[in-house]
Amino acid sequence: MKDPIIRIENVSKQFGTLKALDGVTNQIQRGEVVVIIGPSGSGKSTLLRTLNGLETVSEGNVYIDGVNIVDTRVNINKLRSKVGMVFQHFNLFRHKTALDNIIMPQTVVLNRKRKEAEDVARKLLEKVGIPEKAGNYPDQLSGGQQQRVAIARSLAMHPKIMLFDEATSALDPETVGGVLQLMKDLATEGMTMVVVTHEMGFAREVADRVIFMDGGQILEEATPDEFFDRPKNSRTITFLSQIL
Amino acid sequence: MAVKLMGGMLEMADIVLAKIQITINLMPFLMQGLLMTFKVSILAILFGSLLGFVLGVVRTLGYRPLTAIIGIYLHIFRGTPYLVQLYIIYFVFPSFGVGFLNFDSFTAAIVSLSLYTSSYVTEITTAAIYAIPRGQEEAARSCGMSKAEALIYVVLPQSLKMMIPPMASIYVVIIKSTAILSIIGISELTRQGEVAILRMPGDIMFVYGLIATMYFIYCYPVLRFAKWAEGAFGSIGSVQDQES
Repeated sequence: MKDPIIRIENVSKQFGTLKALDGVTNQIQRGEVVVIIGPSGSGKSTLLRTLNGLETVSEGNVYIDGVNIVDTRVNINKLRSKVGMVFQHFNLFRHKTALDNIIMPQTVVLNRKRKEAEDVARKLLEKVGIPEKAGNYPDQLSGGQQQRVAIARSLAMHPKIMLFDEATSALDPETVGGVLQLMKDLATEGMTMVVVTHEMGFAREVADRVIFMDGGQILEEATPDEFFDRPKNSRTITFLSQIL
Repeated sequence: MAVKLMGGMLEMADIVLAKIQITINLMPFLMQGLLMTFKVSILAILFGSLLGFVLGVVRTLGYRPLTAIIGIYLHIFRGTPYLVQLYIIYFVFPSFGVGFLNFDSFTAAIVSLSLYTSSYVTEITTAAIYAIPRGQEEAARSCGMSKAEALIYVVLPQSLKMMIPPMASIYVVIIKSTAILSIIGISELTRQGEVAILRMPGDIMFVYGLIATMYFIYCYPVLRFAKWAEGAFGSIGSVQDQES
């Protein structure tokens, strides 16, 4: 392994009596696209959320770009702006227009001038394909459009890593394709991506590596072809037979 | 018959004229009272809201000891009658012999009413902050905002809007509570009315009617505003969760 941008070392997370993560260790390379799949409650979202500090860990270490974010002395806010996150429910700021959703984090976190931030925002709205929606509020946008704005909002921070937490699960079927295409484009541009999804087509086509989780543990990881065509773990086989 | 009817009408006209005369005579005196009511209620709302807002925000930050202290504060002020609070602040505090606790009646009125107001505003603020879906703060933080920045730029702007209708309702409660201040000699509307009745005991019903009308004229627009604001900004009870 050559240039890991994320190193997860023996990470455990306890929710009361439930062990959401149980000794997870993994490395993700710069520019790699990793898809995490698994049944609900398997810990895949929790693992994703630990990567930008939204979830604290009970044990173990998480290094992002060489910095241990479990260390409480680390300024996690600064680090988070390098790790973009896209949520299942978009979580656009409801009191801001699409354009302002993209501008505001730039002015607050990166201290960009409004003019500069607006230029960045308009370019990104163009990139995600909805420049005409700049003045709309989130509740005036479809799910797919909201998710595009959310992706643009993350990209505006120039992240080194993008995390996708079931980004298409809450979308109408006809808008899923567009958002997946956008994610593919990002992958093609060389963005490091960690994607939790149920879209097996996306996993097969875009992922460099597929990770299967259950019970808070990584049970299997392989290239997409190997993973889908020759799964080894019995629970992976059961899971795949249920969803494919 | 006709003469009798005519006589009756004249008598009625006399009574009406007499009441109009009383109203005109009393009006400057009662207006003084209304002005005092206005002054006291505005000041109490102002100071009470500021204090309540700060306490309400602090209460959501999760610093255990502070949360507990604020909890006790709320229990004391919401679990006891305002009249008792007023008695204690005005009659009991001076006996402690501490200089600054030796309030004159106006200061005692403002202090007690502000504290009373703040206990309601604290609850409203807390409720309005908790009513914002968690995803809003998570999105802000995943963009790299600190906890404070997320609060200031994302959560509070949305909470403040939701606070407007319940705040207007509290304002009306406070206006009406100022009537109690008559017992410590504040010349507000009720007190002025009582003085007026001493001068014309025969018109007790009429004078109280006048006072009630003047309170109503002050409160009604605020109530209408509360009703309107509920439609315009939504109420905390019926907030639509973005994730449902």
